[in-house]
Amino acid sequence: MKLSCLQEKLSKGLGIVSRAVATRSTLPITQNILLVGEPSRLKVSATNLEIATTSWVGAKVEEEGSITIPARLLVDFVNSLPSDLIEITLPPDSHTLELKSGHFQAHINGIDAQDFPPTPEISDGITASVKATNLREGIKQVTFTAAMEESRPVLTGINTEFDKEQLTLVAADGFRLAVHKTTLSSPIKEPTTVIIPARTFNEVNRILGEQEEPVEITINQQKSQILFHLENAEIVSQLIPGSFPNYSQIIPQSYNVRAVVGINEFIQAIKASSIFARDSSGIVRLVITPGSELSQGKITVSAQAEEVGGNVSELDSLVDGEEAKIAFNVRYLSDVLSAIPQAQVAIEITNSSSPGIIRPIGTDNYVHVIMPMFVQWEN
Amino acid sequence: MARCIFHIDLDAFFVSAEQAAVPELKEKIVIVGGSPGHRGVVASASYEARSFGIHAGMPSSQARHLCPRAVFLQPNFPRYKEASAKFMKILASFSPEIEPLGLDEAYLNATGCEGLHGTPRDLALLIKGRIRQELDISASVGIAKCKVIAKVASDLCKPDGLLEIAPGEERDFLRPLPIKKLPGIGSKTEETLHTLGISTIGELALLPLEIVKSRFGLLGVTLLQHANGIDERRVTAQGEPKSFSLEVTFPRDTSDRHLIETTLHHLCQRVGENLRRQNKSARCIAIKLRYSNFETITRQITLKESGNATQFIFRTAAELLNKALPQRGNPFRLIGVSASLLTGQGKQLPLLDPEMERLTRLDQAIDQIRQKYGAPAIQQGIDDD
Repeated sequence: MKLSCLQEKLSKGLGIVSRAVATRSTLPITQNILLVGEPSRLKVSATNLEIATTSWVGAKVEEEGSITIPARLLVDFVNSLPSDLIEITLPPDSHTLELKSGHFQAHINGIDAQDFPPTPEISDGITASVKATNLREGIKQVTFTAAMEESRPVLTGINTEFDKEQLTLVAADGFRLAVHKTTLSSPIKEPTTVIIPARTFNEVNRILGEQEEPVEITINQQKSQILFHLENAEIVSQLIPGSFPNYSQIIPQSYNVRAVVGINEFIQAIKASSIFARDSSGIVRLVITPGSELSQGKITVSAQAEEVGGNVSELDSLVDGEEAKIAFNVRYLSDVLSAIPQAQVAIEITNSSSPGIIRPIGTDNYVHVIMPMFVQWEN
Repeated sequence: MARCIFHIDLDAFFVSAEQAAVPELKEKIVIVGGSPGHRGVVASASYEARSFGIHAGMPSSQARHLCPRAVFLQPNFPRYKEASAKFMKILASFSPEIEPLGLDEAYLNATGCEGLHGTPRDLALLIKGRIRQELDISASVGIAKCKVIAKVASDLCKPDGLLEIAPGEERDFLRPLPIKKLPGIGSKTEETLHTLGISTIGELALLPLEIVKSRFGLLGVTLLQHANGIDERRVTAQGEPKSFSLEVTFPRDTSDRHLIETTLHHLCQRVGENLRRQNKSARCIAIKLRYSNFETITRQITLKESGNATQFIFRTAAELLNKALPQRGNPFRLIGVSASLLTGQGKQLPLLDPEMERLTRLDQAIDQIRQKYGAPAIQQGIDDD
């Protein structure tokens, strides 16, 4: 293999795939990046066997060929080079890659490309296409809700439903639930539901960057793998087998009080309370008081830390319904509020031990359900 | 005003309580603890017994070997609790600020009591007299301007002693003492300090802060202050518990997985009961294992959510046990479990999982039955999978 490419291009390509490199693995070659010299481009791939990412770098290829190189070494060395042309050479029958740029030169021992796990081919299957902005918003509003623990694997994934023109992303971790709906660029032939690892979605989001073009999605016939075709990369991921809990019945269909509040003020109040809440199980208390002819409705946000102190903030709010008190884990509130781009949110409460709902005002494509914390209320 | 803190410690408490109840025992060498035939350990030894080298924590069989004449008594906890309650009541009649440390010792804030009871020494003698009179037990009292000095002083003047350290003399008092006399220095810390060439509290006091900090962390900072006679801790009435823990020594060393697990379950059940009674939940669960060669390991995990359900504690503890077990082939002597990082009220309710609610109700039912009919009335089995 013999080729040359620009340092910035190579660095960018390596940056795209490097997160897919296995960190700890029983298969050492998965800690390498696969380099393939193709006609007029260099293909770079990495996989941790759950996800495989491939990107292409424009190159002048004199001789085709392939090799795998330890990821850390390659990425660190290329990033240390000046932005200049890099000549990459793999002598015939050799496993030592030579890199040369100006006065810099390195050789790195690799492993034969034959041993690299092949990236699954997903050509025929169910295909869909979604606008990049819609997918970005969905990922941002849903993935943080997925469970981190592996005790129930399906909850570490995003339940992804394709139905006609609608794409629904759902995540839940046992204490909260997020549902985001968006439209597909074109209707899908048959309704399909798969569970995509939250890690995969986060990686898609990272690589998506500011991409404007729609994202092409293909799911294989067995519904075991999914391919995201992005502008500058392809990501293939395993899907999580199993079935997601029936979430629709968890979303309350009614409420006793609904309060609308400016999101920035709400975030600020939550942030102030979190300082005290972190010393008391993260409890933040909301008291919602309806307005009267003389006064406006309000939400009181407070936190108390035993032996330390406490705080109270009052927010003006449009309140519809009766007075209500509810306590939440402060992190759950701040997570959802910081994922909503709209200027206002509505919070809907049934009682202090039933799930509360947060919805952005001005769109009906997002619902977030949080289970409250059980606390003692004085009076 | 300079503070005046007492540390009052009942001498050989369990033994003294037994001797107070059965006066004939007063002439005898008495040891309270597990019987030497089985495998108990010494819980308390009379001062006569201590002169044979017998101390709390020693296997009873060894104690019998050292002093065959000793009288061994099974612990009688209701008796000790009753005596302890009287002891605390006596202290409370002298000062509103007392801080019990276990059953048989307490701090008492005597700051500003001079007008009422004379000098601190007069007050201490008064307290000792009342304890002697009402409990027939001797007590040792340390007097100083801070807690740590008072405690070291009472320990040094046992039994039936009284030692007052005048303000300003704290460092001179501590300087020659071996480091293990300083509360908070266990055998591990002592060992580490010895490797640094430190054997007296005075030497510890001269160590640079950075060294102590890097070796022992926050604990080291506190130890260094204490070694210099600085201790600003207040006497606080009955602080909130920081953790709940229980441990048990097996009747004989065991490698029997099933026995170890059922014992662990039993401990978890009781720790859970204690947590629930106080309306607490724990986020950190730890287990302690002691091998037959007395080597002791602890393993702990801090969880995202706190809990107090027996199953919650047991599952977490069993996982720690599973990870710890394959490490060594030695049989076990002791197993313990502890729950810490306690949170008071406030429990995250589950959204998807009705299981947590179910476990809460199960524990409530079991706790109620046990409170009414005693612990043996109902036992929870464990899954064999």
